Amino acid sequence: MNVRLSRAVILAVFVAVAIPAFAHHSFTAEFDTSKAIKITGKVTMMKWANPHAWIFIDVVDSKGKVTNWALETGAANSLIRRGWRKEDLPAGTVLVVEGWQARNGSPTANVSSITFTDGRRLFAGSSNPAAPQK
Amino acid sequence: MKKSYAALALLCFALPLLLLVAPLPVAGQRGRGGPGTPPAAAVPAPPIRRMQDGKPDLTGYGLEQRRSTERLTPSTNGVVVDPPDGKLPYQPWARAERIDRELPHRGYEDPTAHCFVAGVPRSMYTPSPFQILQPPGYVVLLFERMNWRQIPLDGRAHIPDTTRLWNGDSVGRWEGDTLIVDTKNLNGKTWLNEVGDVLTHDAHIVERFTPMNANTIMYRATVTDTVAYTRPWTIEMALNRQDDELLEVACHEDNGDLQHLKDVRDEYRAKNKGK
Repeated sequence: MNVRLSRAVILAVFVAVAIPAFAHHSFTAEFDTSKAIKITGKVTMMKWANPHAWIFIDVVDSKGKVTNWALETGAANSLIRRGWRKEDLPAGTVLVVEGWQARNGSPTANVSSITFTDGRRLFAGSSNPAAPQK
Repeated sequence: MKKSYAALALLCFALPLLLLVAPLPVAGQRGRGGPGTPPAAAVPAPPIRRMQDGKPDLTGYGLEQRRSTERLTPSTNGVVVDPPDGKLPYQPWARAERIDRELPHRGYEDPTAHCFVAGVPRSMYTPSPFQILQPPGYVVLLFERMNWRQIPLDGRAHIPDTTRLWNGDSVGRWEGDTLIVDTKNLNGKTWLNEVGDVLTHDAHIVERFTPMNANTIMYRATVTDTVAYTRPWTIEMALNRQDDELLEVACHEDNGDLQHLKDVRDEYRAKNKGK
Protein backbone atom coordinates (compact mmCIF):
# COMPACT_ATOMS: atom_id res chain seq x y z
CA MET A 1 0.00 0.00 0.00
CA ASN A 2 1.46 3.30 -0.89
CA VAL A 3 1.98 5.84 1.81
CA ARG A 4 -0.18 8.44 0.10
CA LEU A 5 -3.24 6.18 0.03
CA SER A 6 -2.75 5.11 3.63
CA ARG A 7 -2.45 8.70 4.76
CA ALA A 8 -5.47 9.81 2.81
CA VAL A 9 -7.61 7.01 4.25
CA ILE A 10 -6.58 7.77 7.80
CA LEU A 11 -7.00 11.49 7.35
CA ALA A 12 -10.38 11.22 5.71
CA VAL A 13 -11.78 8.82 8.28
CA PHE A 14 -10.80 10.53 11.42
CA VAL A 15 -11.11 14.15 10.56
CA ALA A 16 -14.61 13.56 9.29
CA VAL A 17 -15.70 13.12 12.88
CA ALA A 18 -13.55 15.86 14.31
CA ILE A 19 -13.69 18.98 12.18
CA PRO A 20 -16.63 21.34 12.50
CA ALA A 21 -17.80 24.03 10.13
CA PHE A 22 -15.52 26.55 8.55
CA ALA A 23 -16.88 29.90 9.58
CA HIS A 24 -15.02 32.63 7.81
CA HIS A 25 -17.66 35.31 7.97
CA SER A 26 -21.20 35.81 9.08
CA PHE A 27 -23.31 33.25 7.24
CA THR A 28 -26.55 35.12 7.82
CA ALA A 29 -25.14 38.33 6.39
CA GLU A 30 -24.81 36.74 2.98
CA PHE A 31 -27.17 33.78 2.84
CA ASP A 32 -30.80 33.28 3.79
CA THR A 33 -31.61 30.28 5.97
CA SER A 34 -35.24 30.53 4.86
CA LYS A 35 -34.21 29.94 1.24
CA ALA A 36 -33.20 26.29 1.35
CA ILE A 37 -32.42 24.94 -2.12
CA LYS A 38 -32.03 21.49 -3.64
CA ILE A 39 -30.88 21.68 -7.25
CA THR A 40 -29.50 19.23 -9.77
CA GLY A 41 -26.99 20.16 -12.43
CA LYS A 42 -23.75 19.44 -14.24
CA VAL A 43 -20.44 20.73 -12.96
CA THR A 44 -18.94 23.40 -15.22
CA MET A 45 -16.04 24.31 -12.92
CA MET A 46 -14.66 23.59 -9.47
CA LYS A 47 -12.42 26.16 -7.79
CA TRP A 48 -10.33 24.63 -5.02
CA ALA A 49 -9.64 27.88 -3.24
CA ASN A 50 -9.43 29.65 0.09
CA PRO A 51 -11.12 30.78 2.21
CA HIS A 52 -13.95 29.01 0.38
CA ALA A 53 -13.98 26.63 -2.54
CA TRP A 54 -16.67 27.11 -5.20
CA ILE A 55 -18.54 24.71 -7.46
CA PHE A 56 -20.28 26.04 -10.55
CA ILE A 57 -23.07 23.95 -12.04
CA ASP A 58 -25.48 24.41 -14.94
CA VAL A 59 -29.08 23.89 -13.87
CA VAL A 60 -31.76 23.47 -16.52
CA ASP A 61 -35.30 24.53 -15.60
CA SER A 62 -38.56 23.10 -16.93
CA LYS A 63 -38.47 25.48 -19.91
CA GLY A 64 -34.96 24.48 -20.87
CA LYS A 65 -33.36 27.66 -19.60
CA VAL A 66 -29.84 27.08 -18.30
CA THR A 67 -28.64 28.93 -15.21
CA ASN A 68 -25.10 28.68 -13.92
CA TRP A 69 -25.12 28.53 -10.12
CA ALA A 70 -22.14 29.59 -7.99
CA LEU A 71 -22.00 27.36 -4.94
CA GLU A 72 -19.84 28.15 -1.93
CA THR A 73 -18.36 25.42 0.26
CA GLY A 74 -15.88 25.41 3.11
CA ALA A 75 -12.17 25.98 2.47
CA ALA A 76 -10.27 23.55 0.25
CA ASN A 77 -8.67 21.85 3.26
CA SER A 78 -12.08 21.48 4.87
CA LEU A 79 -13.29 19.60 1.78
CA ILE A 80 -10.25 17.32 1.70
CA ARG A 81 -10.94 16.38 5.29
CA ARG A 82 -14.49 15.45 4.36
CA GLY A 83 -13.40 13.12 1.59
CA TRP A 84 -13.65 15.43 -1.43
CA ARG A 85 -11.09 14.78 -4.16
CA LYS A 86 -10.40 16.77 -7.32
CA GLU A 87 -10.71 13.71 -9.51
CA ASP A 88 -14.29 13.15 -8.36
CA LEU A 89 -15.53 16.45 -9.77
CA PRO A 90 -14.60 16.84 -13.44
CA ALA A 91 -16.75 19.09 -15.64
CA GLY A 92 -19.92 17.27 -16.57
CA THR A 93 -20.33 15.48 -13.24
CA VAL A 94 -23.99 15.44 -12.26
CA LEU A 95 -24.65 16.56 -8.69
CA VAL A 96 -27.60 17.15 -6.44
CA VAL A 97 -26.71 20.16 -4.32
CA GLU A 98 -28.42 21.17 -1.11
CA GLY A 99 -27.83 24.50 0.59
CA TRP A 100 -29.12 28.02 1.12
CA GLN A 101 -29.48 30.74 -1.46
CA ALA A 102 -27.92 34.20 -1.24
CA ARG A 103 -30.02 36.97 0.24
CA ASN A 104 -29.91 38.94 -2.99
CA GLY A 105 -31.74 36.20 -4.88
CA SER A 106 -28.90 35.58 -7.32
CA PRO A 107 -28.04 32.00 -8.35
CA THR A 108 -25.51 31.83 -5.55
CA ALA A 109 -25.74 29.51 -2.58
CA ASN A 110 -23.88 28.15 0.40
CA VAL A 111 -23.63 24.37 0.12
CA SER A 112 -24.68 21.96 2.81
CA SER A 113 -23.98 18.78 0.84
CA ILE A 114 -23.53 17.34 -2.62
CA THR A 115 -24.81 13.94 -3.75
CA PHE A 116 -23.41 12.03 -6.72
CA THR A 117 -25.60 9.95 -9.02
CA ASP A 118 -24.36 6.79 -7.29
CA GLY A 119 -25.85 8.08 -4.04
CA ARG A 120 -22.55 9.04 -2.43
CA ARG A 121 -23.06 12.17 -0.35
CA LEU A 122 -20.40 14.57 0.87
CA PHE A 123 -20.89 17.42 3.28
CA ALA A 124 -19.38 20.75 2.39
CA GLY A 125 -18.28 22.35 5.65
CA SER A 126 -21.03 24.92 5.44
CA SER A 127 -20.67 27.98 7.62
CA ASN A 128 -24.38 27.78 8.45
CA PRO A 129 -24.52 26.92 12.16
CA ALA A 130 -27.52 24.70 11.44
CA ALA A 131 -25.82 22.69 8.69
CA PRO A 132 -25.07 19.00 9.23
CA GLN A 133 -21.32 18.43 9.21
CA LYS A 134 -20.97 14.70 8.87
CA MET B 1 -6.24 -5.08 -4.03
CA LYS B 2 -6.10 -1.47 -2.95
CA LYS B 3 -9.56 -1.78 -1.49
CA SER B 4 -8.49 -4.59 0.81
CA TYR B 5 -5.50 -2.57 1.94
CA ALA B 6 -7.78 0.37 2.59
CA ALA B 7 -10.06 -1.83 4.69
CA LEU B 8 -7.06 -3.08 6.65
CA ALA B 9 -5.95 0.50 7.21
CA LEU B 10 -9.37 1.31 8.59
CA LEU B 11 -9.22 -1.55 11.07
CA CYS B 12 -5.65 -0.98 12.13
CA PHE B 13 -5.57 2.78 12.32
CA ALA B 14 -8.97 4.38 12.21
CA LEU B 15 -10.50 2.66 15.24
CA PRO B 16 -7.74 3.64 17.68
CA LEU B 17 -7.77 7.15 16.24
CA LEU B 18 -11.49 7.45 16.70
CA LEU B 19 -11.10 6.46 20.33
CA LEU B 20 -8.27 8.94 20.71
CA VAL B 21 -10.15 11.90 19.33
CA ALA B 22 -13.52 11.15 20.89
CA PRO B 23 -14.39 13.96 23.31
CA LEU B 24 -13.77 12.79 26.85
CA PRO B 25 -15.63 13.78 30.00
CA VAL B 26 -13.77 16.60 31.65
CA ALA B 27 -13.89 17.70 35.25
CA GLY B 28 -15.65 21.01 35.49
CA GLN B 29 -17.23 20.80 32.05
CA ARG B 30 -20.50 22.67 32.05
CA GLY B 31 -23.69 21.01 30.99
CA ARG B 32 -25.40 24.08 29.57
CA GLY B 33 -25.76 24.15 25.81
CA GLY B 34 -23.79 22.17 23.25
CA PRO B 35 -24.31 18.53 22.52
CA GLY B 36 -23.66 17.61 26.16
CA THR B 37 -21.15 15.27 27.69
CA PRO B 38 -20.74 12.09 25.67
CA PRO B 39 -20.84 8.65 27.27
CA ALA B 40 -17.68 7.60 29.05
CA ALA B 41 -15.00 6.30 26.70
CA ALA B 42 -14.30 2.60 26.90
CA VAL B 43 -10.58 3.26 27.26
CA PRO B 44 -9.50 5.77 29.92
CA ALA B 45 -7.47 8.65 28.57
CA PRO B 46 -3.73 8.36 29.17
CA PRO B 47 -2.32 10.60 31.90
CA ILE B 48 -0.77 14.01 31.28
CA ARG B 49 2.39 13.79 29.22
CA ARG B 50 5.42 15.63 30.51
CA MET B 51 8.49 17.31 29.08
CA GLN B 52 11.98 16.44 30.28
CA ASP B 53 11.84 19.31 32.78
CA GLY B 54 8.66 17.88 34.30
CA LYS B 55 6.34 20.54 32.91
CA PRO B 56 3.20 19.31 31.14
CA ASP B 57 3.71 18.48 27.49
CA LEU B 58 0.96 20.37 25.68
CA THR B 59 2.37 19.75 22.22
CA GLY B 60 0.20 18.42 19.45
CA TYR B 61 -2.82 19.33 17.44
CA GLY B 62 -5.99 20.53 18.99
CA LEU B 63 -9.40 21.92 18.35
CA GLU B 64 -12.21 23.38 20.38
CA GLN B 65 -15.02 21.12 19.33
CA ARG B 66 -17.61 21.13 22.06
CA ARG B 67 -19.71 23.53 20.02
CA SER B 68 -20.36 23.08 16.36
CA THR B 69 -19.52 26.58 15.22
CA GLU B 70 -17.75 29.73 16.19
CA ARG B 71 -20.99 31.63 15.92
CA LEU B 72 -22.06 30.33 19.29
CA THR B 73 -18.94 31.41 21.08
CA PRO B 74 -18.71 33.15 23.46
CA SER B 75 -21.96 35.04 23.84
CA THR B 76 -24.36 32.13 23.91
CA ASN B 77 -24.66 28.44 24.50
CA GLY B 78 -22.77 27.91 27.64
CA VAL B 79 -19.12 28.80 27.33
CA VAL B 80 -19.43 31.85 29.58
CA VAL B 81 -18.92 30.40 33.05
CA ASP B 82 -18.71 33.75 34.82
CA PRO B 83 -21.02 35.65 35.29
CA PRO B 84 -23.12 32.69 36.44
CA ASP B 85 -26.01 33.63 34.14
CA GLY B 86 -23.77 32.94 31.14
CA LYS B 87 -24.33 36.37 29.60
CA LEU B 88 -21.61 38.84 28.76
CA PRO B 89 -21.87 41.83 31.15
CA TYR B 90 -22.10 44.53 28.52
CA GLN B 91 -22.12 48.23 29.06
CA PRO B 92 -25.14 49.71 27.27
CA TRP B 93 -23.19 51.18 24.31
CA ALA B 94 -21.37 47.90 23.71
CA ARG B 95 -24.56 45.87 23.88
CA ALA B 96 -26.15 48.16 21.31
CA GLU B 97 -23.09 47.78 19.10
CA ARG B 98 -23.21 44.01 19.43
CA ILE B 99 -26.88 43.88 18.43
CA ASP B 100 -26.22 46.09 15.44
CA ARG B 101 -23.23 44.08 14.28
CA GLU B 102 -25.34 40.98 13.79
CA LEU B 103 -27.48 42.73 11.16
CA PRO B 104 -26.63 41.60 7.61
CA HIS B 105 -25.27 44.99 6.54
CA ARG B 106 -22.60 44.83 9.26
CA GLY B 107 -21.27 41.43 8.16
CA TYR B 108 -18.78 43.15 5.90
CA GLU B 109 -17.05 44.61 8.96
CA ASP B 110 -16.05 41.32 10.57
CA PRO B 111 -12.23 41.50 10.46
CA THR B 112 -11.94 37.82 9.61
CA ALA B 113 -14.06 38.39 6.49
CA HIS B 114 -11.15 40.58 5.38
CA CYS B 115 -8.70 37.78 6.27
CA PHE B 116 -7.30 39.53 9.33
CA VAL B 117 -6.26 37.26 12.17
CA ALA B 118 -9.00 36.42 14.64
CA GLY B 119 -7.06 37.71 17.66
CA VAL B 120 -7.24 36.63 21.28
CA PRO B 121 -9.18 34.72 22.45
CA ARG B 122 -11.14 34.17 19.20
CA SER B 123 -8.31 32.26 17.53
CA MET B 124 -8.71 29.57 20.19
CA TYR B 125 -12.24 28.71 19.13
CA THR B 126 -12.31 29.40 15.41
CA PRO B 127 -13.33 26.09 13.85
CA SER B 128 -9.94 25.26 12.38
CA PRO B 129 -7.23 23.18 14.04
CA PHE B 130 -4.20 24.59 15.77
CA GLN B 131 -0.88 23.14 16.86
CA ILE B 132 0.99 23.74 20.10
CA LEU B 133 4.79 23.69 20.12
CA GLN B 134 7.02 23.96 23.18
CA PRO B 135 10.52 24.99 22.16
CA PRO B 136 12.80 25.92 25.09
CA GLY B 137 11.54 29.06 26.80
CA TYR B 138 8.39 29.42 24.73
CA VAL B 139 4.98 28.05 23.98
CA VAL B 140 4.01 28.63 20.36
CA LEU B 141 0.52 28.32 18.93
CA LEU B 142 0.19 27.79 15.19
CA PHE B 143 -3.28 28.29 13.74
CA GLU B 144 -4.34 26.76 10.46
CA ARG B 145 -5.69 30.11 9.31
CA MET B 146 -2.07 31.17 8.90
CA ASN B 147 -1.74 32.95 12.20
CA TRP B 148 0.52 32.35 15.18
CA ARG B 149 1.14 33.35 18.77
CA GLN B 150 4.53 33.12 20.46
CA ILE B 151 4.44 33.17 24.24
CA PRO B 152 7.77 33.68 26.09
CA LEU B 153 8.08 32.00 29.47
CA ASP B 154 11.16 33.84 30.76
CA GLY B 155 9.38 36.33 32.99
CA ARG B 156 9.77 39.31 30.72
CA ALA B 157 7.47 42.32 31.01
CA HIS B 158 4.93 43.32 28.39
CA ILE B 159 6.12 45.59 25.62
CA PRO B 160 5.13 49.28 25.97
CA ASP B 161 1.41 49.79 25.52
CA THR B 162 1.99 52.18 22.66
CA THR B 163 2.51 49.11 20.46
CA ARG B 164 -0.85 47.59 19.54
CA LEU B 165 -1.22 44.23 17.84
CA TRP B 166 -3.98 42.04 16.40
CA ASN B 167 -2.98 39.21 18.76
CA GLY B 168 -1.73 41.57 21.47
CA ASP B 169 1.42 40.93 23.47
CA SER B 170 1.42 37.66 25.42
CA VAL B 171 3.71 36.50 28.21
CA GLY B 172 3.40 33.16 29.97
CA ARG B 173 4.32 31.28 33.10
CA TRP B 174 3.61 27.94 34.71
CA GLU B 175 1.54 27.72 37.86
CA GLY B 176 1.71 24.03 38.82
CA ASP B 177 0.48 22.17 35.75
CA THR B 178 -1.39 25.19 34.38
CA LEU B 179 0.10 27.43 31.71
CA ILE B 180 -1.02 31.00 32.37
CA VAL B 181 -0.85 33.42 29.46
CA ASP B 182 -1.29 37.15 30.07
CA THR B 183 -2.20 39.24 27.03
CA LYS B 184 -2.38 43.02 26.69
CA ASN B 185 -1.78 45.60 23.93
CA LEU B 186 -4.60 44.40 21.69
CA ASN B 187 -5.50 46.82 18.92
CA GLY B 188 -9.23 46.86 19.61
CA LYS B 189 -10.06 45.95 16.01
CA THR B 190 -11.00 42.30 16.53
CA TRP B 191 -14.46 40.87 17.04
CA LEU B 192 -15.02 38.03 19.50
CA ASN B 193 -16.99 36.05 16.93
CA GLU B 194 -18.79 36.46 13.64
CA VAL B 195 -21.90 37.92 15.23
CA GLY B 196 -19.82 40.74 16.63
CA ASP B 197 -19.32 40.37 20.36
CA VAL B 198 -17.21 43.32 21.39
CA LEU B 199 -13.59 43.57 22.54
CA THR B 200 -11.79 46.90 22.84
CA HIS B 201 -8.19 48.11 23.10
CA ASP B 202 -8.61 48.08 26.89
CA ALA B 203 -8.88 44.30 27.08
CA HIS B 204 -6.58 42.41 29.41
CA ILE B 205 -6.89 38.67 28.92
CA VAL B 206 -5.63 35.93 31.21
CA GLU B 207 -5.78 32.47 29.68
CA ARG B 208 -5.28 29.24 31.59
CA PHE B 209 -4.33 26.03 29.80
CA THR B 210 -4.79 23.12 32.21
CA PRO B 211 -4.12 19.61 30.88
CA MET B 212 -6.69 17.15 32.25
CA ASN B 213 -5.09 14.11 30.64
CA ALA B 214 -3.03 13.39 27.53
CA ASN B 215 -5.95 14.20 25.23
CA THR B 216 -7.69 17.19 26.74
CA ILE B 217 -6.68 20.69 27.80
CA MET B 218 -9.21 22.71 29.75
CA TYR B 219 -9.01 26.26 28.45
CA ARG B 220 -10.22 29.26 30.44
CA ALA B 221 -9.93 32.88 29.46
CA THR B 222 -10.82 35.77 31.75
CA VAL B 223 -11.38 39.06 29.95
CA THR B 224 -11.20 42.40 31.71
CA ASP B 225 -12.31 45.18 29.40
CA THR B 226 -13.57 48.19 31.31
CA VAL B 227 -14.51 50.10 28.16
CA ALA B 228 -17.07 47.54 26.98
CA TYR B 229 -18.03 45.57 30.08
CA THR B 230 -19.22 46.25 33.62
CA ARG B 231 -17.08 43.47 35.12
CA PRO B 232 -14.57 40.77 34.10
CA TRP B 233 -15.99 37.64 32.49
CA THR B 234 -14.68 34.14 31.86
CA ILE B 235 -15.16 31.54 29.16
CA GLU B 236 -14.23 27.88 29.53
CA MET B 237 -13.99 25.11 26.95
CA ALA B 238 -12.21 21.84 26.34
CA LEU B 239 -9.48 21.70 23.71
CA ASN B 240 -9.33 18.17 22.38
CA ARG B 241 -6.20 16.58 21.03
CA GLN B 242 -6.23 15.29 17.48
CA ASP B 243 -3.85 13.27 15.39
CA ASP B 244 -4.10 15.68 12.49
CA GLU B 245 -1.76 17.94 10.62
CA LEU B 246 -2.20 21.59 9.72
CA LEU B 247 -2.98 22.35 6.12
CA GLU B 248 -3.39 25.98 5.09
CA VAL B 249 -6.17 28.48 4.75
CA ALA B 250 -4.67 31.03 2.39
CA CYS B 251 -7.54 33.43 2.91
CA HIS B 252 -6.49 36.12 0.44
CA GLU B 253 -6.42 33.66 -2.42
CA ASP B 254 -10.02 33.98 -3.51
CA ASN B 255 -11.99 35.96 -0.97
CA GLY B 256 -15.07 36.40 -3.12
CA ASP B 257 -17.34 36.69 -0.12
CA LEU B 258 -16.01 40.09 0.69
CA GLN B 259 -17.62 41.60 -2.41
CA HIS B 260 -20.88 39.83 -1.61
CA LEU B 261 -20.86 41.19 1.92
CA LYS B 262 -20.04 44.64 0.59
CA ASP B 263 -22.96 44.40 -1.83
CA VAL B 264 -25.28 43.63 1.09
CA ARG B 265 -23.93 46.64 2.96
CA ASP B 266 -24.13 48.99 -0.02
CA GLU B 267 -27.68 47.90 -0.80
CA TYR B 268 -28.66 48.65 2.78
CA ARG B 269 -27.00 52.06 2.64
CA ALA B 270 -28.71 52.93 -0.63
CA LYS B 271 -32.11 52.05 0.78
CA ASN B 272 -31.52 54.04 3.94
CA LYS B 273 -29.85 57.08 2.42
CA GLY B 274 -30.97 60.24 4.15
CA LYS B 275 -32.76 58.44 6.95
